[in-house]
Amino acid sequence: MYDYKTYGYTMSEMQAFAIAKNIKENQIVIVGTGLPLIGASLAKAVICPSCHPIVESGLMDCSPVEVPRSVGDLRFMAHCAVQWPNIRFVGFEANEWLHDSDRLIAFIGGAQIDPYGNVNSTCIYGKGDYVKPQVRFTGSGGANGIAGFCNTIIMIKLDKTKFVNKVDYITSCGWMDGPGGREKVGLPGNRGPQMVVTDMGIMKFDEETKRMYLAYYYPYSTPEEIKAAIPDFPLIVDERAQLMEGPTPDIIKTIREDIDPGQAFIKVPKG
Amino acid sequence: MNKVCSLSEAVEKYVHNGDTICFGGFTTNRKPYAAAYEILRQGKGDFTVWAGPAGGDWDMLIGEGRVKVYINCYTANSGYTNVSRRFRAAIEKGEMIYEDYSQDVLMLQLHAASLGLPFLPVRLMMGSGLCEYWGISPEKRKELPSVDDLKLAYVDNPFNPGEKVVAVPVPKLDCAIIHVQQASPDGTCILLGDEFHDVDIAIAAKRTIVTCEEIVSDEYIRRDPTLTKIFGECVDAVVRVPFGAWPSQCYGYYDNDDKVLKEYDKASNYVDAEDAKAKLAKAAAKARKAADAKPGDAKLEAAAVKAEQAAKDAADGTKVPETFKDYLDKYVYGCKTHEDLLNVIGGKRLTDLRVEPHLGYSTRH
Repeated sequence: MYDYKTYGYTMSEMQAFAIAKNIKENQIVIVGTGLPLIGASLAKAVICPSCHPIVESGLMDCSPVEVPRSVGDLRFMAHCAVQWPNIRFVGFEANEWLHDSDRLIAFIGGAQIDPYGNVNSTCIYGKGDYVKPQVRFTGSGGANGIAGFCNTIIMIKLDKTKFVNKVDYITSCGWMDGPGGREKVGLPGNRGPQMVVTDMGIMKFDEETKRMYLAYYYPYSTPEEIKAAIPDFPLIVDERAQLMEGPTPDIIKTIREDIDPGQAFIKVPKG
Repeated sequence: MNKVCSLSEAVEKYVHNGDTICFGGFTTNRKPYAAAYEILRQGKGDFTVWAGPAGGDWDMLIGEGRVKVYINCYTANSGYTNVSRRFRAAIEKGEMIYEDYSQDVLMLQLHAASLGLPFLPVRLMMGSGLCEYWGISPEKRKELPSVDDLKLAYVDNPFNPGEKVVAVPVPKLDCAIIHVQQASPDGTCILLGDEFHDVDIAIAAKRTIVTCEEIVSDEYIRRDPTLTKIFGECVDAVVRVPFGAWPSQCYGYYDNDDKVLKEYDKASNYVDAEDAKAKLAKAAAKARKAADAKPGDAKLEAAAVKAEQAAKDAADGTKVPETFKDYLDKYVYGCKTHEDLLNVIGGKRLTDLRVEPHLGYSTRH
């Protein structure tokens, strides 16, 4: 069980750290706002300074001084290498795939995810359907194209309403219905979701079956707790589940003092 | 040719009821809000909208019933409102005809329009709901002259037989409205910061209105042609509207109005006072039910008491929260002109929004 006093960091800080740890040298990192941005900023600051954060509005190699609120924010725009219009970003991500380059790694979020990493960020049907849903969200934004051409890391809260056997609507394609599923619909088979970062642990996809398994649990969580939180979801929990260590005090200090001092996305409990 | 005119003249003359229309800007950046307010004031509507990355601009027009067909890829004031509330309500109530494309596809469609292409093949949306589901059915599309008969079609790549790609239609825009930093009387524009899809729609639309922070002379704007982004002959009207993107951002000039975007987030939750009363009563009943289900839970009890008080205050008129209608009365209908709006916002507030040159944003916004 998590409690702040025992661990000294918040669950969001653990997630930001997990994000940062999964960014590699020289990678081009497609971030949005929120936790992925904090994680990428942390990576850039201390873990792998050679990475290049970019955003779907077309702003390349961003290094915001203050945390931006949106991908088109002046805070990205004023401190980047190139201000491309969005269509250049779209062309760039497609050409990275055409050139067989796998430098891109992207963070996307969503409201629902299935065992193959297909993500819904369009609507929840409830008693309705796509045309008249119970809950409507923003729509795809850049996520659909990103999930088509790039390897992705999916950010989602561990919650039984979010981890479902079948998503109502596929906004961003994962591994579709399993091995060969992406190729069948015309998507690159050598790209797809790599992992799912939640507040309780990290999932990956089995090489053979493309189904989701538990890869890491955190110092404050256990595989049993994770399984219990999503009882109807067929998460594979086996010997591959390992403990991921939490952030060091230095890392926590960097997040709080340098990256998000205004606590725009990571709220720190008082006292 | 001198194209300078007032905002009311520009909207009067170049925005028509029933137009297929697109605004420039990106969610909360360089959105042509002043022009949107003027459209609201003039009562124009029945629009078919290629929305691009939209935010409060189209949310207000949807809330006021001015949108007939909404072609969406993303609608939110990111960082303030997760999903624009009038947009969301219109869809959940089944009140609006809409279609979804991905942002990549919609922006490429607008670019294709600027290139004059007949249709656009993409390797996008395949396998997703964006291809599988149509917001506007083929039958319905036949009845709507402003939309193409198909949302998309799978076609064979003639240069790579066997490869299926997705063909999408190219928007046929009647009207484009963009807000830029500087324009000259002949319509030449300087856009600073990311141009977004603004140049594309200015070329593609039959009629283009440019609102700008500053009007400079035709000679002055040509002093460095690396800065000019739109050929004046694409432009029909040039309107000086300082802070014309407020409450969104304008690169080099001003930041988001943080307080007002938060105000809109709250206000746009309630259509009007009646809606606020009904929603608060419902919230109170829900909170009470939750508290009663777990007797002894102090937090739930406190939340229920608070919600009941808010519902009571709204019901008897002691304290009705600000609504969408109130917001529009204050910032749109209550202002005859943009200058009136600037006075409502106030001098101090506006100067606080000014970007700090060394940062590129404001720390006082």
